[in-house]
Amino acid sequence: MNKLTNFKINGISVTAQKGETILTVARKNGIYIPTMCYISKTSPCASCRMCVVEASGMDGFILSCNTPPVEGVEITTNTPALENERTNIMKLYDVNHPLECGVCDKSGECDLQNKTLEFNVSRQNFSARDQHRPIKHWGLVDYEPSLCIMCEKCVHVCNEVIGDDAIEVKFGGYSSTIIPKNSDTLDCTFCGECIAVCPVGALTSSGFKYRANAWELERVPATCAHCSAGCALEYETRHSAINGADEIYRVKNNFEFTSLCGAGRFGFDFDNRTSMDESSFHKAIDALKNAKAIRFSSIITNEEAHILELLKNKLGIKLFNEDARKFAEFMNSYSSVSGKLHHSGSLDAIKQSDAVIVIGSRIATDNPAVRYALTTASKHNGAKVVYAHPLEDVLVQNVVTQMMKYEVGTEEGVMALLAHTILSQADLSENERAFFDELDLGYLCAETNIGEEEFDFMMKSFSRAKKRVLIIGNDLIAHERSGNIAKLAALIEKYSDFSLVVVPREVNTLGVSLINTLDKDEDIIDVVGYNAKGNFVISSLEFANLPVASFNEQEGTVVNIDNRVLPTNVALSFEGYTLNDIAAAFGIDKENTVDYTRELTKKAGFKGINFDDLENFLSPLGEDNRGYILDEVTCSADGELEELDDMPEFNGTIIYNSDPVLQFNSYTAKAAQLPKDNFLRGSAQFGVAARISDGDIVDVSFKDKKIRREFKLDSELKGTIALNPTFDIGVDGSRYRFEKSKIERVVNE
Amino acid sequence: MHNEHIDKHFNDRNVTEMSSDYYLVGIEDYPSDNWGRFKRILKRSFRGELFVGLWVVLREMIRFDIHTVRYPEEKMPIGPRYRAIHQMKRLWESDTERCIGCGLCEKICISNCIRIDTKLDENSRKEVSEYSINLGRCIFCGYCAEVCPELAITHGGEYENASDQREHFTMYQDMLTPLDKMRAGTQVEFEGFGSITPHEDERVKKTPLAY
Repeated sequence: MNKLTNFKINGISVTAQKGETILTVARKNGIYIPTMCYISKTSPCASCRMCVVEASGMDGFILSCNTPPVEGVEITTNTPALENERTNIMKLYDVNHPLECGVCDKSGECDLQNKTLEFNVSRQNFSARDQHRPIKHWGLVDYEPSLCIMCEKCVHVCNEVIGDDAIEVKFGGYSSTIIPKNSDTLDCTFCGECIAVCPVGALTSSGFKYRANAWELERVPATCAHCSAGCALEYETRHSAINGADEIYRVKNNFEFTSLCGAGRFGFDFDNRTSMDESSFHKAIDALKNAKAIRFSSIITNEEAHILELLKNKLGIKLFNEDARKFAEFMNSYSSVSGKLHHSGSLDAIKQSDAVIVIGSRIATDNPAVRYALTTASKHNGAKVVYAHPLEDVLVQNVVTQMMKYEVGTEEGVMALLAHTILSQADLSENERAFFDELDLGYLCAETNIGEEEFDFMMKSFSRAKKRVLIIGNDLIAHERSGNIAKLAALIEKYSDFSLVVVPREVNTLGVSLINTLDKDEDIIDVVGYNAKGNFVISSLEFANLPVASFNEQEGTVVNIDNRVLPTNVALSFEGYTLNDIAAAFGIDKENTVDYTRELTKKAGFKGINFDDLENFLSPLGEDNRGYILDEVTCSADGELEELDDMPEFNGTIIYNSDPVLQFNSYTAKAAQLPKDNFLRGSAQFGVAARISDGDIVDVSFKDKKIRREFKLDSELKGTIALNPTFDIGVDGSRYRFEKSKIERVVNE
Repeated sequence: MHNEHIDKHFNDRNVTEMSSDYYLVGIEDYPSDNWGRFKRILKRSFRGELFVGLWVVLREMIRFDIHTVRYPEEKMPIGPRYRAIHQMKRLWESDTERCIGCGLCEKICISNCIRIDTKLDENSRKEVSEYSINLGRCIFCGYCAEVCPELAITHGGEYENASDQREHFTMYQDMLTPLDKMRAGTQVEFEGFGSITPHEDERVKKTPLAY
């Protein structure tokens, strides 16, 4: 039950919901209380003491940021005593703060500058002997202790939202600093969120340092291209050197409410520079005329996908996109049971949840936004997180409350057992009940290697949970039995209070799966590749026969994991040809690519809204006003569960295709600042099984691929499964990510 | 409202009443008939004013009292506030460049003729890696000098920048005070827009930090 508290701020009657503090209520009602350390997405740091207010019947000041109001209290925010207190705090902040605003990266967007001017601190009554505080270089992050005001925002964000817990405060009065936790240097996923939240120039991006200032950069609101979270970000552009074209200097985000991973923040320079090359363009037209199919990747906009669909109908050719086809197949099976097109969950639902099951994904690297949402849920709601996967992941270790380790390939069995446990009391139909009654639990538990007591433990830990989420990863979508898995997931969503989040692989896998009718990929010649392999390649990557605009040079929309249609804008102008120009040559004639935005199929839930009418902002209170959420579409629910297949067995040296932190695809591989470690990582046990040791160069063969990698021993891994990065080789997105492989040591000649 | 005020201020000046120094110039009325016009033509043609002018020239030529500045051999002195081609100043104390690369000059430039590029140098300081001003576009308004927080970019007295092409650039090193000039102590401080006032030292307040 929601308990409301009525009280007054500055004589204005306001109402607080349960859990709200005086500060949040004041902000909601447009009453200004200055803060230095407060950040909405974390619990209050309560270190700046700027937010002091007076309350009736109380002596002294109280902190509005962490004090919930009591019924009938009268709060005053602006007495002379409070002003004096705040001004003195500002004066203390300014003690020994280096006067290097002229060169400081933060100058112009600095909270300390703003507040110093706001409180009119023009002289200094306090002093302290300054200390030698050398600058620290932590890879992508630089830390300058002399500029640090110890607001602790970075520490709170790192711990409560990101989950790296990589930095901490070294307490010591005036000589307090931020230090890496349990390490000499910063050892983290380099999301750069600490840089974003830093109100001064203490934490800065080493790649951006001293290259430009806030007032020189032009902001372009856009959507991140690297994973299906579709995070909001702003590309900041400016001319490069003195006679160069525009260049992206850095990426920023609305850190007050949203977070960004390192790939989004530092992997922005994947733009494709080219000029109009008429002969290649004509070759592309000819290639398309003779083509039997177009193969494309999901890192494209909805509008491009729509144009490809129009081309398909016009030319009578096939469309190949295995990643989206597998996803569409999964969602079709899901719809056949749930009777609707879209999954019910969202990142916000995960953030607010108190019980989560993540299954079939190395989620921290597959979709960092989901990881951050999990961390938020864990730290703020004490959420119980069950992580079901054959491999442990250190990155989610501190949020996972129960690791459910199953055997590779047995995902269908795990889902059946999960559904069986969750739906044991549910009001199922006869057929569905029969399905569960017929399950051979002993066989399933043995094959999956998950004991019944693990499910009992899970249900017990979930017993008091109110908001539950089931997160389905790519291992389930790409699984051979994905159809049945999807139906089981739909059943859980339908008959329990779990909401469902299916994690798409690429930025617009979801959009493409809704817009395109895809054919099964065949190994034929005469395929034109669009950002993908083909006999003629039209791509924004290297080795293209016809170069086209990459994601940050285009406007259009994508559909993210929340089923939200998000607009993105042109950060850098593109001189060459686009897909729209090619389509125009075939009589599919619209002036701009975004003219197709309103034509996106309503059957999939798209609203017929013009691109220019789409909003793209977060309100001052953090409400997401980006684009729109797809309309729910109902469909017939005539799907039947199939009997479980025999569980496959995976023996020998298995590799798991999984990218390292900060890498996702060929575009992040292009980004200059991102590390490009492509080691095959495995445990000592794996090394023994494959008869290789640390530093060996090995040939890894799986399917029809053979790649050369350096083997790296990773003490954080266990078992006989090694991690194989795919960002630099491009693996068929529809393939199950665990592969039986052959590993041979390359003997140096 | 505002415009009315200005109109009144500028148009209703009542000069004749306010000051007796003003007098009316005796201007004849224009002839109204053809005879009058004919007379005016005769008068203008044969009055001999041409020879008055010629005589003045002849007289001064004989006297050799010539006031003409023989540009370009001779040049007039330029006022310290004159705004011609920009200069980049150095610090008196250390001879290092004053420019900190804040980019405000580029930002404020209304004719968009300044381009600056900065980077982190090997001493972890901000270094101006490239800087150019397109003098073909520059209107010498002085905003860059005024906005400069370090008195680094100023205007100089060098006004001879005629060029046979519309775009011509001056680069950072061309504008920077040469080191030998610094050592000789002949760098000239700019007194125009943005410069410090002569009694600036007296205005500096001591704070507790000056220990």
